[in-house]
Amino acid sequence: MERIDTYDGEIKSFVCLAPTARAQAETAAAEIADGNYKGPLHGVPIAVKDNYFTADMPTRAGSNSAVEYPKTDSSCVTKLREAGAIIIGKTNMHEFAWGNETPPTRNPWNINHVPGGSSGGSGAAIAAGFVPAALGSDTGGSIRIPAGLCGTVGLKPTYGLVGRSGIVPHSWSLDHAGPLTATVADAAFITEALVGHDKNDPGSVDRVKPNFTSSLGTSVEGMRIGICRNHFFDSLETDVGEKVETAINQLSKLGCKVVEFEVPNLEYGLAAIFAIELASSTAWHDHSLATGITADYQSDVRTLVEIGRFVTAPDYLKAEQLRRVLMEDFAQAFSKIDVVVGPTLPLTAWQVGDRSVRIGDADESVLAASWRLTYPWNLIGVPALSIPCGFDSRGLPIGLQFAAPPFREVDLFRLAHAYEAKQDWKGARASLQGL
Amino acid sequence: MKKPNLITDVLGISLKPERVEENLKAYADILQEIAKLRTLDLRDVHPAVIFSPIEMTKGKDHE
Repeated sequence: MERIDTYDGEIKSFVCLAPTARAQAETAAAEIADGNYKGPLHGVPIAVKDNYFTADMPTRAGSNSAVEYPKTDSSCVTKLREAGAIIIGKTNMHEFAWGNETPPTRNPWNINHVPGGSSGGSGAAIAAGFVPAALGSDTGGSIRIPAGLCGTVGLKPTYGLVGRSGIVPHSWSLDHAGPLTATVADAAFITEALVGHDKNDPGSVDRVKPNFTSSLGTSVEGMRIGICRNHFFDSLETDVGEKVETAINQLSKLGCKVVEFEVPNLEYGLAAIFAIELASSTAWHDHSLATGITADYQSDVRTLVEIGRFVTAPDYLKAEQLRRVLMEDFAQAFSKIDVVVGPTLPLTAWQVGDRSVRIGDADESVLAASWRLTYPWNLIGVPALSIPCGFDSRGLPIGLQFAAPPFREVDLFRLAHAYEAKQDWKGARASLQGL
Repeated sequence: MKKPNLITDVLGISLKPERVEENLKAYADILQEIAKLRTLDLRDVHPAVIFSPIEMTKGKDHE
């Protein structure tokens, strides 16, 4: 709490701290002292993104508009509290999860740069060493993008594995809840706590609770890693490309078999996610549009919410057809590989205010660049994890992304943990010197 | 019956014309991507829309 008091005036990762945080910690300490240890999350401070409902703190979804939300705990927050975690506060987010910058939050590795988004406050809070873990939500990359730019671990689980009731919706069939953490093991522990059927989330699945943590530390020899050379390796910043190739070599040295493949239909993926995300978002915000509440939204978000009306029903359904095509393409690819490996983003954190970046010989908007390697996994609903794989020449973190078949999070954790164990930056946090 | 207006009636947009123009400009790049999607012949592909009929709530009799 002292570190937050000292540094968060500059980082701006939190929008609210729990008034009961210290009392929760004292209660947890007493429970543990009395022998009532609830497990690895007992007494651990965890922050939650501002789109998760909380009973003891307001929910604003990053917006100053007059949309109101219940003061009850979301399904995920309930599960974390049951596991003994201390819900320390709410983190800043790009308004309504519709963007990848999260103003006014800054990146702790260099406060002139963005933390990414939309779960940017969660990524920044971990990178600054305020908390070891935070919850985020991911519709096109909103957990993995800030994880990649802030040098944390971030998991988008399989669609339906983690219940979303009590989270402000953005796009029902693309939204995922999951953790950002300092280490792979932390992500495994938290995901285990979050899994379970959520009867108030129609997308929730009812499956046997998996054991992710038992796989940590086991050999990855013989694991087949897939490198999708089209799309995921197109137009990367030089440092990003080099660090990712180094990581692939390291995985090979750990005994993984490298298999290259291509999925040409990824060329149509951007159209599909835009059609689905825009139409869904506009449907959710329809009442706010009709009543003029959207006039109080930030201009970029207001525009996105308004233009969803241009997506026609046939375009939307064609996007859903393309989605099935991609699901089948990757199902075929996953018959020959266990985990797809590639960069999380084609770039590192851009400067606050930059609207476009130069990658290779071309200029690209930061919005387009930031999510083009993450959204394919939202379209097909498979689990995807971002883990740090070093730093660029300016000292900014680079993200490495793993994706696996549905409900194979265990393979992501196993591979990421084996890779992380070989790196000297495991759990590294920004120094914040000079702030 | 009055002929419906494309913007206000068909698309359900009740914004000022200049705002609609701004939004169309913002949508241009996305529309270019969607135009590519429209070229695909996907007639044999079932869309990935999840639909499950909701069973009768337990404990309630049919009317």
